[in-house]
Amino acid sequence: MLPAAVIAIPFTAALLSMLLPSRVSRVLTGFAGAATAVCIGSMALAASKGGGRLDAVSALFLLPVGIVYGAVGVYSTWYVRAESIGSDGDERYRREFLALTNAFACAEVVVPLLTNMAGLWVALEVTTILAALLVRLQGTDASLEAAWKYILIASCGLAIGLVGVVVLYAAGVGPLGSRYSPEWAQYMAMAGRLDPNAVRLAFLLALIGFGTKMGLAPMHTWLPDAHGAGPTPTSAMLSGILLSDALYVIVRFAAITNDAVGSGMTRTLFFVVGLLSLFVGAFFLLRQRDIKRMLAYSSIEHMGIVACGLAFGAPLAILGAFLHVVNHSAAKGLAFLSAGRIAARYQTREIEKISGAVAVLPFSGTLFAFAGLALAGMPPFGIFRSEIMILAGGFSGRSWPIAALVLALLVVAFAGIVRWVMEVTGGDAPKTMQRGERDIGAIGSMLLISLVVLGLGVYLPEPLEHLLARAAFILGGRG
Amino acid sequence: MLHQLTVPQAFAGTIAMLLLIVQLALFRSVVVAEFIRVYALQSWLVAAICFGVGVTEGAFDLIVLAFVTLLFKGILLPRYMQGLARGISARIELPARINVLLSLVLAGALIGLSILTSIQLPLHHGAFLPRADLAAALAMVFTGFLVAILRPNALAQVVAFLTLENGLFFGTITLAPGLPFVIGILLLIDVLVAVVVFAVLVRALIGQHSAASVSVFESLRG
Repeated sequence: MLPAAVIAIPFTAALLSMLLPSRVSRVLTGFAGAATAVCIGSMALAASKGGGRLDAVSALFLLPVGIVYGAVGVYSTWYVRAESIGSDGDERYRREFLALTNAFACAEVVVPLLTNMAGLWVALEVTTILAALLVRLQGTDASLEAAWKYILIASCGLAIGLVGVVVLYAAGVGPLGSRYSPEWAQYMAMAGRLDPNAVRLAFLLALIGFGTKMGLAPMHTWLPDAHGAGPTPTSAMLSGILLSDALYVIVRFAAITNDAVGSGMTRTLFFVVGLLSLFVGAFFLLRQRDIKRMLAYSSIEHMGIVACGLAFGAPLAILGAFLHVVNHSAAKGLAFLSAGRIAARYQTREIEKISGAVAVLPFSGTLFAFAGLALAGMPPFGIFRSEIMILAGGFSGRSWPIAALVLALLVVAFAGIVRWVMEVTGGDAPKTMQRGERDIGAIGSMLLISLVVLGLGVYLPEPLEHLLARAAFILGGRG
Repeated sequence: MLHQLTVPQAFAGTIAMLLLIVQLALFRSVVVAEFIRVYALQSWLVAAICFGVGVTEGAFDLIVLAFVTLLFKGILLPRYMQGLARGISARIELPARINVLLSLVLAGALIGLSILTSIQLPLHHGAFLPRADLAAALAMVFTGFLVAILRPNALAQVVAFLTLENGLFFGTITLAPGLPFVIGILLLIDVLVAVVVFAVLVRALIGQHSAASVSVFESLRG
């Protein structure tokens, strides 16, 4: 019932948004986001107790959808009023934006619900198509360039992912027969009888293909453009949900590979892409001038951290990596939403032209500082907790030199983010700048998501703990 | 070992070879219309292999898929692309440092890499002609990328993506003919929708810059 509801709610909202005036459909979108979040919360709760139809991995990767779409839905009630692209196009823009946002959320929620390996590919490709339309929506040269690069690179990446699905299917023909449905559970049950070389190749192709969608270096080149040029709520959904959706598919492949050929290969490859992503993210953070591109490079860095957590292989590190997925989604959602309001008020995304945001926008500026510090890995935010878990897991085993390297790169990233966040939020605001904010929808959505950003740092709820443990067990973090 | 080939296997091998030859034709072509014709021809070949595997395996769904593929990818999509190309420069610019010969050498290297990779994989069970199929599918994917990289033209890049997808379709049909029919149809619908989105972007590009060259995409860097 609930899985059907979480698909039906955003789907219906998408359909109605095409038909109804934007003043109605923006409210509808807010309700759709909130209702989806509640349904996902209930499903996760059931899965944490071993009930419901979803396994822990699916339930865990649904959480980012609930958190970010819930916030984006409510935030959009302000966004569509504030965003202006010219008097004639306004209403059309708003309707298209709301319809596509809800459709995008619908596609994103489908991914963690699926366990059919071929179906997963189709669902991810649908997200690519919808995201490209959203990125293009503002109609500027930059948005067109970003959308073109995105759809071309992501589609080509997914093509490689599909080869991985096909190779895995061919590997299963022996034990499962020539005509079977490529369900993940079937592969897991037969993992020991799958051809090892084919499984290895399938994982490699899946990591490259779906890793492109996840923004892992060196396949990350589309990410800063798409996240930077798209509408703010789209950036939040791309970074907060879509990256974790792609990771979900990779995790399913990794679980099969670990069971079929051991975890050596997956760990090595996760190390390679993880460290490379951390390196690219950390050093590019230092030289960013655009507030949204800065957050985009932070996404690459955090996906690198997650990959390294999975690579360490220790149960604590895997738990930390899964928790990091949830923490990153919440923090990045908050960061993009607050950055969008700052950019709208200052009429620029250039960091050098923004200062004193806390004085100008007391809520958004402060929450942007919160999100920035959380993304930098400061206590007491949730990301600090998950990073400590990942590093502790890394230092506890033989991979401690790599853990030390990860720590060093985190310090570089910390410096980059904190520097830009202080520049944006601190200092004197321009005297002519209008001060204060009263948009209840936008502020409320950001306050709610900030509760997750902070809350998971000071307290880890027992159901989430169970969910993480079950998910880590499935991946092979049994110790 | 040629003497061990059955008729279906020989048919699949021939189609695989023809697909690759047609793919290589993209590297010497500098005219949009030629690109589209090459794609249409390739789609007919893919439909033929789908039909062949369907008949051999007694899979009615694959026979249906073959006709659907022929209709959409062999006829309708190329016509749609031709309509899209109308009114813009027919020529595709070449990058300064990589001429046709060098791009063919690079494509040859990628085909070699695909063959070497597929040799490592003993995918024997039930597949149509496993080793050559995987090599051909991988080669089409890799060379599709290369075309997309070496031709800075929006329409050429769309055709490159579509030929790459043809490689995937070929690999899916021959290596995994048992994949559920619904997945095959979903793949096809997905491609059609992707092309429509590509078309939206191409129209916007032509509208804003009066050309389909993606060389203008230089503002987002760093």
